[in-house]
Amino acid sequence: MTDATQGAASGGPDESPARPGVQEAEELAIPRNPPRPALALHRELHRVWANDRGLWGQLTAVNHTTLGLRFMGTALVFFAIGGLLSMLIRAQLATHDGAFLDTELYNQIFTMHGSIMMFLFAIPMLEGLGIWLLPKMLGTRDMAFPRLTALGYWCYLFGGLIMLTALLFGVAPRDGWFMYTPLSDATHSPGINADVWLLGVTFVEISAMAAAVEITVTILRQRAPGMKLTEMPLFAWYMLGTSVMMLVGFPPLIAASVLLEVERAFDWPFFDVVRGGDPLLWQHLFWLFGHPEVYIIFLPAAGVLSTLIPALCRTPILGYNAIVAAVLALVFLSFGLWVHHMFTVGIPHMALAFFSAASVLVAVPTAVQVFAWIGTMWKGQPELKLPMYHILGFFLTFVMGGLTGVMLAIVPFNWQAHDTAFVTAHLHYVLIGGFVFPMMAAATWWMPLIFGKRRIKGLGEAAFWVILIGFHGTFFIMHLTGLMGMPRRIDVYPDNPEWVWLNLTSSIFGFVLTIGFAMFALDMILQATLGKRSARDPWGAPTLDWAMPVPSTSYNFASLPGPGMWARVAADVVLPLARGEGVLPGAPRGRREVLVTSVGGARPQHVALLPGNTALPLWLAASIGVFVLLMLAGAYALAGIALIPVAVLVWVWGRGLAPAGDLSPVEAAPGLRLPIHHHARPSLSQSGLFALLVADGALLASLVFGLAFLSVVTVGPVPAPAGGGGADTVTLLAVVVAAVALGVGAAGRAARRRSVAWAGVGLALNLLALALLAVVLGGLDDPTRHARDALRAVLAAYVVVHVLVAAAMSAFALDQFRRAEITAEVAGVLPAWRHWQGFTAVASALVAVAVIAQAGA
Amino acid sequence: MRLLALFIAGPALWAVLFAAVYALHGIGCAGLTGPESLGGLWRLVMAGVWIAGLGAHVALLRALPAGRGGADRWLPLTGGWIGLGASAFTLFPVLIATSC
Repeated sequence: MTDATQGAASGGPDESPARPGVQEAEELAIPRNPPRPALALHRELHRVWANDRGLWGQLTAVNHTTLGLRFMGTALVFFAIGGLLSMLIRAQLATHDGAFLDTELYNQIFTMHGSIMMFLFAIPMLEGLGIWLLPKMLGTRDMAFPRLTALGYWCYLFGGLIMLTALLFGVAPRDGWFMYTPLSDATHSPGINADVWLLGVTFVEISAMAAAVEITVTILRQRAPGMKLTEMPLFAWYMLGTSVMMLVGFPPLIAASVLLEVERAFDWPFFDVVRGGDPLLWQHLFWLFGHPEVYIIFLPAAGVLSTLIPALCRTPILGYNAIVAAVLALVFLSFGLWVHHMFTVGIPHMALAFFSAASVLVAVPTAVQVFAWIGTMWKGQPELKLPMYHILGFFLTFVMGGLTGVMLAIVPFNWQAHDTAFVTAHLHYVLIGGFVFPMMAAATWWMPLIFGKRRIKGLGEAAFWVILIGFHGTFFIMHLTGLMGMPRRIDVYPDNPEWVWLNLTSSIFGFVLTIGFAMFALDMILQATLGKRSARDPWGAPTLDWAMPVPSTSYNFASLPGPGMWARVAADVVLPLARGEGVLPGAPRGRREVLVTSVGGARPQHVALLPGNTALPLWLAASIGVFVLLMLAGAYALAGIALIPVAVLVWVWGRGLAPAGDLSPVEAAPGLRLPIHHHARPSLSQSGLFALLVADGALLASLVFGLAFLSVVTVGPVPAPAGGGGADTVTLLAVVVAAVALGVGAAGRAARRRSVAWAGVGLALNLLALALLAVVLGGLDDPTRHARDALRAVLAAYVVVHVLVAAAMSAFALDQFRRAEITAEVAGVLPAWRHWQGFTAVASALVAVAVIAQAGA
Repeated sequence: MRLLALFIAGPALWAVLFAAVYALHGIGCAGLTGPESLGGLWRLVMAGVWIAGLGAHVALLRALPAGRGGADRWLPLTGGWIGLGASAFTLFPVLIATSC
């Protein structure tokens, strides 16, 4: 293999100046490939990358363009449904004694409105945008794990349909989108309503975790050669921050949902005060997710703004480094604010001060970005095109929402405004201002790339004004309604004259807002169907996403932009890329190939072969769906059996990663021969596993936090451990940890020596650990007795699941040895097993210490 | 990867420090050690951890490699200052607020 960094000097006839603000790659130089007929290249690539034909082709698609658009389209449908629900809410509140809805239905509707907008619209929309746009902007052909993209989509769709179906049958969740206990426990919320939320949202969040893993890996490992981290488009920085926040932020929600579902299903009292639980544990875990969630939603939208504003103002962004630093600050600080949602629950004074200070401080990085955008507009020559309308709408709305956010961060004001319509107004200013307006700007910006059509002038501008007027007419007034003391989440209210006209006005403008969104949707439909053909790069944009035909092709780039190409304005590199002058041109080997680069400097490392179209993600999501439905039906034994097909399909999924065909190195450019991923480390899969383990660690930390929290706050007598804390248990746990730790050594030796014997030893050690864990579980105290007993059991179950997966991976390694898929050059599953085994060993030790210490406390 | 590690080092230190002081505060307020009954000793412990943490931030800033200039130098340095500023501002209530 020739090291790319030692390649000859970059060549090429059309050396236009580099894009402003981007330095040319100083060290990395890759010679250009000779030009080829663009049409022949297109046909060759299309044959390999396109979806299969017909309906089956849609079901088996794994392409990021298809799935990204599908995510966004489905999210828009859910947005429309959530919007219709909001109209029902406003119709009910238009008069003080509204008889439009009864209390039960009203509770279901406002719960579903919030849940749909958060979990079925905002998050999938940002995932879809990232999945669709990132490969185009970073100069690659697909996301790192295409099948995972498809699995995420199907889980999202099926989970969303379960929640919608529950609404149609009148059994939708009714306890608020935050599902506070004890309102949502089995005593106060009998029936399956709360279960629909807990299981449905967790099902949907599989897609969020999948998206977080692949967005992280794609940004870090699949950037165009030479595109350093410090030079990549700001949108990628924002999405990197978002995906890392998702990896750390969603596990607390998943942990909380699992605990509450287990409490409801099996009476394990995590949140039951009588048996040592605490409802505040739910609030802590929920808002540990819930507040970062606000920034998870905002950051991609801010990434859109940082992309569009400089392009529309014809100038480089002002303060690239400052914005990157602001993103970093937001990512971290947003995890130190969650308690400001709980200021009224009786938090100690000093803790109030900590979280109040953090809540105020987070306004600083937000303001840095706002001033950078304003400065960019000031410096440049802003063009008042339709996306700019929505950007201005963002400024007006989001800044007001941010200011009321600072007000709510101040404890005395928070106590006054808590749970009033003022908070409803604030959150809508932040979410619609900070997400919906930028997303509308994004839609109008990228529509030509999606459909290849120009818009029909006039309707979009009218829609913007109707939305702006409707929004502020609805929600600005809610500040006043809240300051006059009107609570949130009520279906009828006293006949106070000062409340009545404000509510009626909000309701009228609410319908105006809905009309505006309908006009916006109509504008998009008209553009997609009746619009004239768009020119390539109609905005004169500088980013790589426009350096391709419109509408975009299934493979994005006929050849990938090299270091001398991605830094130039899009229009200058379109033809060289289409003629195959970039890296890895065409698909001469008839397989889906992408370039994998190093994390920091984006140096070419190897070529990854991505899987083609397959129905496997659909079947896997469907089998998980069966498990969820059986859990909802209370058929727990059957639900356990339903996990068997899930496990089988995961095994089949792994089998699909086996090496096949020609494994010889690939010439990506003259003199640049790269190995394929089976022969290279670290692979995309290893990076993905690392990201997944970050999320897994966050899940464990959430459970340990729960244990620590209950240990500190529990009032009343704690029953002495009858089991669980005895010498026998300590010994058994020590042996379990030792067995798993020895498994790490076995996995390491199996990987280094390609030894089937050591793989067998690893499997035996894991099976031994499982057997011992079964004894430990049997010896633990009844988990329905006390919350601490329940958490001990959950932690033990966490270890069981991990050892089970480790055992499955070692068995899978043995199967790969049997099939001769592990060779001296190909490591197969061994590196992944070794990392997983290592994580499991550390987690087992931590859990053992926690269980023993807590049992003795 | 090294750049990313240096970039997040400051804020990561803030996260650890914030969690540690918050945990100490929670333990104290739960009455396990009695924050007020110990005559302010618990507050001293929290303040001590906070000040030690600020010292660690300063040490981190001094230890950051000079790099090659540009973003490679600027981003880790900024991350270090963000961490220091966040630790100083969000935890200063250990000096002034009532405990529980």
